Amino acid sequence: MKYLVLLMDDGDERPWNEMTDAEQGELMAKFGAFDAVCAAREGVEILSGEALGAPETFTTVRTRGGHVQLTDGPYAEAIEGLGGFYLVEVPDLDVLLEVITELPAYDLQLVPALEMPE
Amino acid sequence: MTDPLAACVREEWGRLMALLLARFRRLDLVEDALGDAVERAARSWGDAPPDNPSAWLLATARRRILDQLRHEEVVRRKQPLLAIEARASYEMDPLGTEVDDDLLRLVLMCAHPALEPEAASALSLRLVLGVATADIARLFLVGEPTVAARITRAKKRIVGAGVPFRVPDAAALPPRIDTVAQTAYLAFTAGYAPGSGPDLLRADLAGEAIRLVRVALGLRPEEPALVALLALQLLQHARRDARARHGRLVLLADQDRDRWHRDEIAEAQALLESDAVRRPMSALAASYLLQARIAAEHARALTADDTRWGRIVELYDALLRLTASPSARLARAVAVAEARGPAEGLAALAAIEPMGNHRLDTVRAELLARDGQTDAARAAYDQAIALCRNEVETAHLRRRRADLDTRI
Repeated sequence: MKYLVLLMDDGDERPWNEMTDAEQGELMAKFGAFDAVCAAREGVEILSGEALGAPETFTTVRTRGGHVQLTDGPYAEAIEGLGGFYLVEVPDLDVLLEVITELPAYDLQLVPALEMPE
Repeated sequence: MTDPLAACVREEWGRLMALLLARFRRLDLVEDALGDAVERAARSWGDAPPDNPSAWLLATARRRILDQLRHEEVVRRKQPLLAIEARASYEMDPLGTEVDDDLLRLVLMCAHPALEPEAASALSLRLVLGVATADIARLFLVGEPTVAARITRAKKRIVGAGVPFRVPDAAALPPRIDTVAQTAYLAFTAGYAPGSGPDLLRADLAGEAIRLVRVALGLRPEEPALVALLALQLLQHARRDARARHGRLVLLADQDRDRWHRDEIAEAQALLESDAVRRPMSALAASYLLQARIAAEHARALTADDTRWGRIVELYDALLRLTASPSARLARAVAVAEARGPAEGLAALAAIEPMGNHRLDTVRAELLARDGQTDAARAAYDQAIALCRNEVETAHLRRRRADLDTRI
């Protein structure tokens, strides 16, 4: 199955800009460990992953009555802290729950992708 | 019950579910097909059940699933653009030694931590034990459509979220076993101490939760959490016939101890002396173990006066070091009052924050009455009555309040 792993909020981690250089280094090392564990594990693959811009750089597009409106900021409060994502291929939810323990202690949302017809 | 169909459903439902699920992996089809097979059996067996009832049910359910899959295949061929992938072979392996493994997979899938606890409990009772939706609704005091919807949602969630039908690695298994235990405990307490409604006890349904633990324990006989939980449940369940008389709640001290089920108490005592509870265990398992040892102290006392309250206070002290829940602190305060008098019990109560139900005020009222503070006791009973939502318990509280005038 494919899952979108959304890095929603800092969770148990302190905000990036309050960290010392050493702490930032430790945090980055966890992303490296996540890469390594996923690469080593059969059936697991990171298909894509990016860090995302700050919420004030988001653009929200709404179409109402045929009119397209653009506003700045996130679509909903719920993703105000969205900082990055991975798209991963894993056999099932349990494997995903195991490998994400390598990531920093962020709040995450795991969204399964629907299997679409070929 | 000698009805061969009922007996077969009771004994074999979980295994048949697990077997069909292992083969077809289609949770949406399997339960319906098995339910349909049971309905057909009820119509056609009559006085002449087949020699091997479970094989009959398996074959009938399997045929039904195959029909459904063929039907889907036909629909797909008519809409080639919607074809997803060719199905794997439909052939069923013969009944093999893998069945127990499949049953464990089913138990773990139904109690997955990604499911809501209530949904996991309902799903476990339905899929592992074959308990009817109407009975699950009665156990949890909700409407039958609510339970049906809850089970349907949980099944969709399992398929959609990717909850596997798989036994996790050894490292990941212990916390999953803890979730299985919690799932069974939730179902048990729903039947044992209902917070509201007209029935004081739904003991028969609490018994189903015990059966769920027995199934899990049969698959993982050395798991401390399951052993301790079974002991705890047996000790509490053993008192079911003494806990209510003529629709009234009977307090532990006033229960007719001849009505306790001694065979179940003996089984629990043996579990508490087994090696399984001497090995390292999770905090959850340890809390079940301590609660079971407390229940065992009550069970070993031939009369209420024989109760070793000092020992019970020590066990509660250990329990509070693990989990400082308000209800455990409340129970400790009761034990303190028994061991050292009502004034010390009231002092132990003082530090407990309000719990959002009637239990704290009930205990306070009892201890104030025993301490001779009648007016304060009356006020505490009023508060408890205002908060209590179980009809039988409310009636009990009103009687205790009325008794205050005659107790002086």
